[in-house]
Amino acid sequence: MAEPVIEACRLWKRFGHVEALRGASMAVGRGEIVALVGDNGAGKSTLLKVVCGAMAADGGEVRIAGRRLEPASVITAQRLGVDVVYQDLALAPHLTVAQSIFLGHEVVHGGWRAPLGVLARQRMRRDADDALRVLGIVLPAIDARVQELSGGQQQAVAMARAVKWSRRAILLDEPTAALGTKQTQIVIETLRSAARRGLGVLVISHDMPRMLQVADRIVVLRHGRTVADLHRSEATLQGIVLAMLGEEEARGAAPPS
Amino acid sequence: MPRRPADRPPAAAALGRPAGRLRRAVRWGGTHLLSAAVGIAVVDVGLVLVFGAITPGHAFLQLSNFTDLGLDASEIVLLSCGSAFLLGARELDISLGANVILSSVVGGRLMVALGGPTADVQQGIYPHLTVAVLVGVLGALATGLAFGLVNGLIVTRLRVTSFITTLGTLGIGMGLSYVLTNGSNIAYIPSQLQTDFGTATVAGWIPVPALTVVLIVAVLWFLLNRTRFGLRTIAIGSSRETARRAGLPIERHLLALFGMVGGFAGLCGVIDLSRFATTDLSGHQTDALTAIAGAVIGGTTLYGGGVAVWGAVFGALLAVILDVGLVILGLPTFYQLIAVGVILIAAVYLRSGTERRSVWGRLSALTRRPGRSGGNTQAGSEELVGGEVEM
Ligand SMILES: Nc1ncnc2c1ncn2[C@@H]1O[C@H](COP(=O)(O)OP(=O)(O)OP(=O)(O)O)[C@@H](O)[C@H]1O
Ligand SMILES: [Mg+2]
Repeated sequence: MAEPVIEACRLWKRFGHVEALRGASMAVGRGEIVALVGDNGAGKSTLLKVVCGAMAADGGEVRIAGRRLEPASVITAQRLGVDVVYQDLALAPHLTVAQSIFLGHEVVHGGWRAPLGVLARQRMRRDADDALRVLGIVLPAIDARVQELSGGQQQAVAMARAVKWSRRAILLDEPTAALGTKQTQIVIETLRSAARRGLGVLVISHDMPRMLQVADRIVVLRHGRTVADLHRSEATLQGIVLAMLGEEEARGAAPPS
Repeated sequence: MPRRPADRPPAAAALGRPAGRLRRAVRWGGTHLLSAAVGIAVVDVGLVLVFGAITPGHAFLQLSNFTDLGLDASEIVLLSCGSAFLLGARELDISLGANVILSSVVGGRLMVALGGPTADVQQGIYPHLTVAVLVGVLGALATGLAFGLVNGLIVTRLRVTSFITTLGTLGIGMGLSYVLTNGSNIAYIPSQLQTDFGTATVAGWIPVPALTVVLIVAVLWFLLNRTRFGLRTIAIGSSRETARRAGLPIERHLLALFGMVGGFAGLCGVIDLSRFATTDLSGHQTDALTAIAGAVIGGTTLYGGGVAVWGAVFGALLAVILDVGLVILGLPTFYQLIAVGVILIAAVYLRSGTERRSVWGRLSALTRRPGRSGGNTQAGSEELVGGEVEM
């Protein structure tokens, strides 16, 4: 693997009596696309939130570009160039598309207006428009509010936001779940081009066949543990399903080979 | 990825092109012209005309009455705009009235104590007038600010909801005011404060306090619509989780908001002192609720994500117009409380679901039984964006 941009070591996370992560480990290298797969409730989203600082783990450690993410903080992770598309998208319904893309990264006018934090609104609208254009997204208007958008359009906005601000790594939790075929293809292309630019890409998806095409490596999570970490050359659909479900369950679920 | 310009999809067709400009104009009209602010302003003007028509000698329409109206409105309008900001961030402050009183008490005590020897002051002679007024005014402002910051600290650090926090500090502030005054209002506030600020006018009829408030409101509008601070206020109110994940300094922001609104209460304390040359321990009890009602009537929702600054101005004015009108008519002002209550409920009801339904649709729904024909049972439910109601 190339020089790692993200390393997660032996992560533990408990919610009440549910143990979402039980020692899961994984890494993403520069320019690498890693698919994180697993059954519903395997702990994928939890792992992603811990890695990007949105959630503190109970044990284990996260390193971004070799630096320890401690204490857990999205701001630190953002400064280190990590951005995220969350499964629930995490957009504010009342903000416009442009505002959503720039929230936390607002562009303000310089000069005498600088201390007031006066927004450079035209510039942000234009740049947001460009960011969406690259993703091939059709939106009613750049001034539309998030709550007026369809699920797929919202996903596109979240995607545009993450692509725009990630410098080292981009993490995506089911980024194509609400998208049509064409849009999905564009997202996949975007991930590939991000990886070509040297970003580490971590993508969670249930679309196994597509992940097999796109990913350089596939990490399988089961009950909060990493149960397989396969290079694309050694990964097969059946192998992954087997790892996902575990031996016993798989024997019942999958047809014998 | 390489794409020919020709098949570039119109990501946001509205940018720049004529058709887009028209659409933007329509959208602008939709959000601004037809907004609650304009609706309430129309109601305000209507009320003024009605009172003008029915008051003896059209007393209501005289210029001097507008001076009084402006003066009476200045405090509550300021508090209402402040409340709108807090509501926009999904917080609220019901301690504003207590803050106004405590600020005026601290300012008043400072003025009387620093004015000169007690014997002189009681005769209206202030050897140290400038210092006394200056320190008194700054003291009142600082008290308001500190009161607000304490609210903010409790909300952000101790994580007590703002409703409970400010319910608590409402009592604390009132109690402190009584302790500091032994329950009797502070007299002997320098009358120069009245003549130079409280009852002073520009151009013979515009009250200086009202002008001050209008300037502040204009700044607030700018802050909301043009600055990072405004955008983040809305974001924090619209979705706290989104704001957190975007890395916004939520606690610092809320602290600043509570401090700002507290500072407004401090200014109201100064206005109070300078209008009446005394404190008003028994007034202002309902100020915070009137301010919140004004903000909500003006189109700000209780659930964050939307602030209508001018709406709050006109919403608060509504209460004042009713008050003044009833006084001129010689009717008990208790009716004002009833009217504002009814208008508050009606405004929120009529506004709920306006995207899907006309006002007439909402009105005709009144005649239908709830629960039967399509969801009128949840008036205001569209405002519940962002999950549970946290007041
Ligand atoms: N905030 C939370 N509070 C309580 N339990 C949680 C929370 N988040 C996740 N869990 C629990 O942790 C476990 C792992 O959840 P997680 O969201 O990480 O799964 P996932 O692999 O992303 O699943 P899916 O494919 O359905 O998105 C689940 O059992 C879930 O119920
Ligand atoms: Mg998930």
